Amino acid sequence: MIIQEKQQINWQPIIKQFEDVVGKNGVVQRREELLTYECDGLTSYRQRPAVVVLPRTTEQVAEAVKICDRNQIPWVARGAGTGLSGGALPVENCVLIVTALMKKILEIDLENQRVVVQPGVINNWVTQAVSGAGFYYAPDPSSQIVCSIGGNVAENSGGVHCLKYGVTTNHVLGLKLVLPDGSIVDVGSSVPEMPGYDITGLFVGSEGTLGIATEITLRILKTAESICVLLADFTNIEAAGASVSDIIGSGIIPAGMEIMDNLSINAVEDVVATGCYPRDAAAILLVEVDGLEVEVAANKKRIAEICTKNGARSITTANDLETRLKLWKGRKAAFAAAGHMSPDYYVQDGVIPRTQLSFVLQEIENLSQKYGYRIANVFHAGDGNLHPLILYDNSVPGALEKVEELGGDILKLCVKVGGSLSGEHGIGADKKCYMPEMFTEIDLETMQWVRQVFNPKGLANPGKIFPTPRTCGEAANAQSAKQFESVERF
Amino acid sequence: MIQETKAIAQTLTDILGPAAVRDWENIEVSQQKHISETVSSGTTSTCIVYPNTQSELAQVIACAYQQRWRVLPCGSSSKLSWGGVAKGVDVVISTSRLNRVIEHAVGDLTITVEAGAKLSDIQAILAASGQFIALDPSYPQTATIGGIVATADAGSLRQRYGGVRDMLLGISFVRADGQIAKAGGRVVKNVAGYDLMKLFTGSFGTLGMISQATFRVYPLPEASQTVVLIGIGDAIALATKTLLASALTPTAVDLRSTAVVTNLGLGKGMGLITRFQNITESIKQQSTRLLEVGQTLGLQCSSYTGNDEAELWQKLAEQIWASGQEPEIICKIGMLPTAAVATLTLLDNISHQQGIGLIHAGSGLGLLRFNPENALNCVTKMRSHCQSHSGFLTVLEAPISFKQQLDVWGYSGNALDLMRQIKQQFDPENILSPHRFVAGI
Ligand SMILES: Cc1cc2nc3c(=O)[nH]c(=O)nc-3n(C[C@@H](O)[C@H](O)[C@H](O)COP(=O)(O)OP(=O)(O)OC[C@H]3O[C@@H](n4cnc5c(N)ncnc54)[C@H](O)[C@@H]3O)c2cc1C
Ligand SMILES: Cc1cc2nc3c(=O)[nH]c(=O)nc-3n(C[C@H](O)[C@H](O)[C@H](O)COP(=O)(O)OP(=O)(O)OC[C@H]3O[C@@H](n4cnc5c(N)ncnc54)[C@H](O)[C@@H]3O)c2cc1C
Repeated sequence: MIIQEKQQINWQPIIKQFEDVVGKNGVVQRREELLTYECDGLTSYRQRPAVVVLPRTTEQVAEAVKICDRNQIPWVARGAGTGLSGGALPVENCVLIVTALMKKILEIDLENQRVVVQPGVINNWVTQAVSGAGFYYAPDPSSQIVCSIGGNVAENSGGVHCLKYGVTTNHVLGLKLVLPDGSIVDVGSSVPEMPGYDITGLFVGSEGTLGIATEITLRILKTAESICVLLADFTNIEAAGASVSDIIGSGIIPAGMEIMDNLSINAVEDVVATGCYPRDAAAILLVEVDGLEVEVAANKKRIAEICTKNGARSITTANDLETRLKLWKGRKAAFAAAGHMSPDYYVQDGVIPRTQLSFVLQEIENLSQKYGYRIANVFHAGDGNLHPLILYDNSVPGALEKVEELGGDILKLCVKVGGSLSGEHGIGADKKCYMPEMFTEIDLETMQWVRQVFNPKGLANPGKIFPTPRTCGEAANAQSAKQFESVERF
Repeated sequence: MIQETKAIAQTLTDILGPAAVRDWENIEVSQQKHISETVSSGTTSTCIVYPNTQSELAQVIACAYQQRWRVLPCGSSSKLSWGGVAKGVDVVISTSRLNRVIEHAVGDLTITVEAGAKLSDIQAILAASGQFIALDPSYPQTATIGGIVATADAGSLRQRYGGVRDMLLGISFVRADGQIAKAGGRVVKNVAGYDLMKLFTGSFGTLGMISQATFRVYPLPEASQTVVLIGIGDAIALATKTLLASALTPTAVDLRSTAVVTNLGLGKGMGLITRFQNITESIKQQSTRLLEVGQTLGLQCSSYTGNDEAELWQKLAEQIWASGQEPEIICKIGMLPTAAVATLTLLDNISHQQGIGLIHAGSGLGLLRFNPENALNCVTKMRSHCQSHSGFLTVLEAPISFKQQLDVWGYSGNALDLMRQIKQQFDPENILSPHRFVAGI
């Protein structure tokens, strides 16, 4: 019966309704134009949406969502489409609501250190808008020059500077939301801890399954007086890992700590040719410390000593902006570089307790050999968030399946040592079948309660986060799938 | 009613044994008092049950669910009376025997503990490894982890470290139907699944009973120094603004009302109390720079280290929390930070410089304490002031008769339906802390 429903959708009158809301220019329906929207950053999964709607205001979003609700059409929110877990992957016969035209910075209140933005605002525009006055927006995903704040909110994105200052959720104070029934609510405020449940905190990281954020109130921070980046290179990766543990153990919390292995060092040297990562190093460690000048000077010295003690071959430091950016450039280009090394790459972002680093890297190496695929490792070492990049060629039949299996083994390994499936990219379409590795049936059922409240008809971003029998086979748990049958109609 | 309570106590005794159940007559007087302050009806006859393990806790709640008993979760019950008044309670469930450390991952800077563990005990364990949980809540000696999470009760340290929500990495809880569920994990970064940690933080025991929590911990700072600036409101406002716009990195920036400054014999006027905790070189320089700001603005300046500093902070906390002769009224407030000094000035005016007030200058969150005399008028005025600066006022502690005269929560937003539906989904029979939360949830 449900399948019949799908086939019966007569799109023309519905498209007319969307046009009435956002104008003809705000609706994309030509097949070739829809191509752009077939996938997000996880390009191996593709599905063309039936129609794309580009609203400019909260009210337009609400009207568009109401049209979907009235016509029982599933919809997916999309920001810049840089997500790496298939969060913005369309489902068959869906409407894609794209925030690309919602790019206004609505309010800047420097004295209260708050900024209000529309969801389509690009991450680093926020910093640009306030940096003149000495402020910045802390979460800085490597994709910051292209990804949207709405996408950051939905994924609870992190970045290389999140070790000390936290991820997106720690910087979002309030949200204006359009719920899946088209109603508009305000949660949180420009003041933290308003009475009532913390729906802001619940919404951040919900991957577009609870509604669309149409206004976002962000906290901005004062730029540190002094910032220093240290680059240490090692002849074995364990020594880099040990340095990370020792730095933390010494009581220093750097703004960020990143490790890249030999394969990724060479990849970025090939691509961005920074000439500052030694190609023969087994690993490099990048550490950024900030604070008062005296503090940075003291911590720099201590960190250098720790790295030297752990066998660092050489240590480079940079205080001025230009050199600092140069040292970071290679790290920020790591994914792009992987794309140059091999026709395709598949990235995971499991998290492990920092202390398990050596063991897990060895296991990843073993898996790499077992499956016969090269894996480049870059990771947020300070918080144990790994980004193994599995290099492969998608045109080889069966390669993707193999690589996904390898990626799955890495995720299971992360969970086994006490970690998580995802540190910042989200579960999306990509990792949902592994959720039972980490959560029991009851855990998942309880999370589904939340979805049931916000999204009772299951129209908002169906088929993401939670395992379903159709896509995950036995991995999905039968009981909660049964209870939430309605959610999986599409 | 009494008979019913006896029957409930008997049923629970059958499940957990006599040592786990205490009926009303055998409850300590102080705790009787806390419970009475929480429940409206004169019928405060109830029993307390003390499960010893998470699974015992689950059994008790499953039983309550079957019998439709109204449950009041509690830790050591310091803040039990905070918030709304319960219409009636059939059983109080205490986590005080669920007080074990599950795992302290020293190198990973995380700790997982049971909900009934006292923060002070956990801090002592962490201190042995040079670490701490960066929370300085009310009643720090007795507050339990579950109670702190359920009330989202953080203190001055939020300036540097954020609130409870920012520190909570994972939770386990027993749902209203007695099933044990969890969310989050034990690693510092994790986006798998919905963030139920945030949902439970500040939910006042209305969604489930927290059984375990994992916190991010921090290295204990090497050194500490506190700078106290005192003077008239305008100068204090300017000093605060200069401080917050500077590159200094204090761990606490608190504004205190005139009455606090007077009571502690610190001087005359409003106080700006700033704590620096960092390496020695850094705190020295930061203190010097702030003292210079104070001098330029003609403020009375002093600085504290060592025992003097610890004593100062102890006394500051007592100003809000020490039990007085009469029941006092304690409120949590929030407003845009720029309105903070005006808020304390208003407090000084309407309370004839008697009102105790604290505002964390960075976040705009704070606490007020009034004498019950004329309190309704003060609370109403302060609330409308806070609301006009995007904030709120919630009455935490007050005599029941006072709480019954107004809406204690002061929620003014448009998400009530959503909140009600969340409650309905998590606790369909409304057995957990019924009617105590926002809008009678
Ligand atoms: C000097 C001093 C003065 C004091 N003055 C007072 C006073 O004036 N008034 C007063 O009330 N107390 C006072 N106390 C009592 C105090 O000592 C408490 O015993 C202590 O702080 C314990 O509170 P708690 O954190 O365990 O949370 P509780 O107070 O037990 O609970 C707080 C809230 O959290 C909920 N909750 C608790 N645990 C859980 C859980 N596991 N899951 C879900 N929800 C939960 C409860 O339902 C409640 O809504 C004072 C103590 C001292 C030392
Ligand atoms: C080269 C590269 C580097 C990256 N580096 C990092 C990194 O360092 N750290 C990191 O965390 N991520 C990183 N990412 C992943 C990605 O950039 C982030 O997840 C980003 O937040 C996605 O934003 P987007 O605007 O592209 O969202 P999209 O991909 O368009 O959408 C992501 C999800 O958000 C939902 N969504 C979008 N807008 C809204 C809205 N307004 N309301 C509700 N839901 C919405 C979508 O439905 C989808 O589920 C990287 C990606 C690339 C390609």
